[in-house]
Amino acid sequence: MTNPLPPPEAAVTAERLTKRYGSLTAIEDLSFSVAPGEIVGFLGPNGAGKSTTMRILSGTMAGTSGRASIWGVSVALHPAEAKRHMAYMPENNPLPEDLRVEEYLRLRARLKDVAAEQVEARVQKVMEDCDLVRRASGRLIGQLSKGFRQRVGIADAILAQPKVVILDEPTIGLDPHQILGIRDLIRSLRGQMAVLISSHILHEVEQVCDKVVIINRGSLVAQGRTDDLRRELWPRPGFTVVTRATLEELTAACCAAEPAAEISAVEPFGEGWLRYRVTLPTASPVRDSLASVLARAGLTFRELTEERYGLEDIFLAATRRTTPEGRRA
Amino acid sequence: MRHFRTLLAHELRTALLSWNTWAAAGLFLAVMGAIHFFAVLECSRAPQPWTPVEATFRLFWLPLLCVLPLLTMRSFAEERRSGTLSALLTTPASPAAIVWAKFLAAWLTWAVCWCAFIVFPLLVSARLGTAGDPRLNDAATLYGGLCFVLVSGLMHVGLGILCSAITRSATLAALLTFICLLGLTAVGGAMESLPIESWAWLGWLREPAAHLRTFGHLQDFAGGILDSRPLVLYVTGMLLSLGLAVLAVEGQE
Repeated sequence: MTNPLPPPEAAVTAERLTKRYGSLTAIEDLSFSVAPGEIVGFLGPNGAGKSTTMRILSGTMAGTSGRASIWGVSVALHPAEAKRHMAYMPENNPLPEDLRVEEYLRLRARLKDVAAEQVEARVQKVMEDCDLVRRASGRLIGQLSKGFRQRVGIADAILAQPKVVILDEPTIGLDPHQILGIRDLIRSLRGQMAVLISSHILHEVEQVCDKVVIINRGSLVAQGRTDDLRRELWPRPGFTVVTRATLEELTAACCAAEPAAEISAVEPFGEGWLRYRVTLPTASPVRDSLASVLARAGLTFRELTEERYGLEDIFLAATRRTTPEGRRA
Repeated sequence: MRHFRTLLAHELRTALLSWNTWAAAGLFLAVMGAIHFFAVLECSRAPQPWTPVEATFRLFWLPLLCVLPLLTMRSFAEERRSGTLSALLTTPASPAAIVWAKFLAAWLTWAVCWCAFIVFPLLVSARLGTAGDPRLNDAATLYGGLCFVLVSGLMHVGLGILCSAITRSATLAALLTFICLLGLTAVGGAMESLPIESWAWLGWLREPAAHLRTFGHLQDFAGGILDSRPLVLYVTGMLLSLGLAVLAVEGQE
């Protein structure tokens, strides 16, 4: 599975992908890319078109228009070659019930062009990596629990050491211990394979992925590193301040250092403390010195926290701004 | 070719371990054994214008309609239903390799069933036959008939694979195969029974009718006549069915 050519700039490229079912448009003009060795989270609400996109990228479904390529190879024009560079685990992870895990992986290795002399070694390696050796290797797949079935699916995906792995909801239905195991396994692929992973567990994606691609109603709404998206969606840094100062005192202290600062949302915090929200302009130098600004003004404060928006907030904000209701809000 | 061999080995193994195959093979041998038994019994009671082997092969359509759909129904329909076909299509194996592997595995199973059946007439001949008596030593009809079912089986199994490739339900696939095979056999029978030659307005039908004489083909094979027309018909039918099956598999979304 070695490629003599230098790696392409993008391991996965979707260029203006569109898929229509009659009058229904599942995805429209969707463009994004995944760099070699990068782990990318593919997010979107139910029905956003994630699975459709993944199926087009994996070559199991034809797009209506646009171009999908894996490791620089067009999926539509050279499906067999594109599939040699890629592995895809579908959402429901269909597996033959009447095969044993080892037999199944051997069959898949042969179908994925693993050299005959390496088949056994690769099967043992992925079974060890996916913790299948002790409890599942000789069992019929039909008798495995959901967690082990998912492991078999992931073992199959990394079996031939592809350049690109596409995982559609790999942690669905797993318990927290199993999720941790799968998360560590996916993390271990960083740098070796480009991984495109869809999941509804946003915390999971945030922990594992280098970048996210968010789609809604079949269109791209945001893509990039979470920090970049955070800055894009909330360009003005916000702080929570819990102090005994009045609104006027706090405003005077902040505006002396940063005239464009905005102070709002006074809430009693008990025992005479009040909670405020301080918003600074983008790239304000006060961002790094707000604590000393307040101290210099002689204000006592109990808490000073910069508001951190998680992936869940990013996801909600990005998807909301593409809906008519969200745009109105 | 490498994928085809891997897939064929997998399909044969699956067929060997499937209860479905064993049930179909059991049904086949029970039906054919019973037919042959009654044919021998009938011949022993009074002289007949046919031999037991001939009589048995003339009823080849019975296992064709009852057993062959059981052998092919699950090949694609079950994989489509469970989603394993999609998973298979994510590998570099081509749809054509998948279709051919499933077809050949089903055809080999069908061939094995028929080869197992010839044990009955051979046993009857060995136990009851006397030297020079053509009734129980009808080797020409036996091996000619076997060749016929194997050659015609190319098209029949191909049709079964096609029917399985276009649906997610194994039951529906079996029903579709049954209807297609019934239609083919009935049309073939009708072409021989109807006095087409005497109907001037049906003159255009004479040539195609000559190609579709299923029972005539059986007689030709049993008589040692090697006519290229049935060969072309069955091989073309097989290629057409498998080509359509490949399209159905490629188009599965």
